[in-house]
Amino acid sequence: MNAHYFFPPADAYALNRCLFRLKSEPAYRRRFVADPEAAMSEASLDAPRRAALTAFDRDRLVSLGAHPYLVFMADLRLKVERAPAAFEQF
Amino acid sequence: MPLVAAVACPHTPQLLMRPDTEDRALVLRVHAAYARVKQLLSDARPDAICLIAGDHIEGFFLNAVPAFAVAVGTSVAGHFGPYDYRFAVHEPLARAIVEQGIEREFDLLYTQDVPLDYAFYVPLHFAMPAPPVPIVPLYVNVYLPPQPTPRRCYAWGRALRAILDARPERVALVASGGMSHYPGTDRYASPDFEWDRAMLATLVAGRGAQTARLTGEELDKAGNVELRTWITLLGAVGDAKAEVLCYEPSWHHGNAMVTWPVR
Repeated sequence: MNAHYFFPPADAYALNRCLFRLKSEPAYRRRFVADPEAAMSEASLDAPRRAALTAFDRDRLVSLGAHPYLVFMADLRLKVERAPAAFEQF
Repeated sequence: MPLVAAVACPHTPQLLMRPDTEDRALVLRVHAAYARVKQLLSDARPDAICLIAGDHIEGFFLNAVPAFAVAVGTSVAGHFGPYDYRFAVHEPLARAIVEQGIEREFDLLYTQDVPLDYAFYVPLHFAMPAPPVPIVPLYVNVYLPPQPTPRRCYAWGRALRAILDARPERVALVASGGMSHYPGTDRYASPDFEWDRAMLATLVAGRGAQTARLTGEELDKAGNVELRTWITLLGAVGDAKAEVLCYEPSWHHGNAMVTWPVR
């Protein structure tokens, strides 16, 4: 069985770094929401990974070496950024 | 001084910020269990809370991946949406854990500057006693393979207990994690609740030491990579019989809260 959480391939470092910044750096996340192309240009992504991130296609991102958790939480944080009122706060 | 409390609890961020995908009644039941933990921690009058949690690639990215780490700053801070947290760190205790952990041949990483992960601040949001007490953030790598083995986690927990027993502080030990969930994978909507329930039965029977014999592959398969934080705590509490405060399976997560007698 392949592990759900696999060793991150080194050639996916730039992609994982970009997902990490989307998850953990509010300023970068805001830049991405405002202008994804410009924000991705900072990330040195190759064309397939850039296309997968543009589509935010989980399966493609993971098949290209993205850490599944980073995809998950970058997505959740982007949703909070775009529509904070959709979340009930406690 | 002996431990004054031992608790394990979940930390899913949907408990803090609930999207409409989450059952509100279930979320509130988990909050009610956190309230019991808050009371339990308040009654224990700890001088510090040692919080064992798995980093969600927040404090440590792929530029440095420690198996076990300790935050030894004066304080730690984390942010999630509109929430900003800062907690005092019990520096003398944190430093003693690092120094004596190294002396006991656990090659710990320490840091004086690390962003705090939500695995730490979600439980503290709901269960920190008032007034707040300082914390010691104890990290276990759960998401970036190769993670430490359950056997090693259990051994680190045993060593941690010996270190804490020799300290003057009253310490509450809290593990943050689990149970079954698979964030970001194609199994996200299919947690292994049967595995969770069997594990809880094992812990209630006082057979927590068995967790040291699990493999990393088993934990990954069961959606329980985060159980390493519980296993570390189990190393500290040994075969004490667990009491389950709640088990609330959502569509993607087994939310469990458990406590162990420590006196």
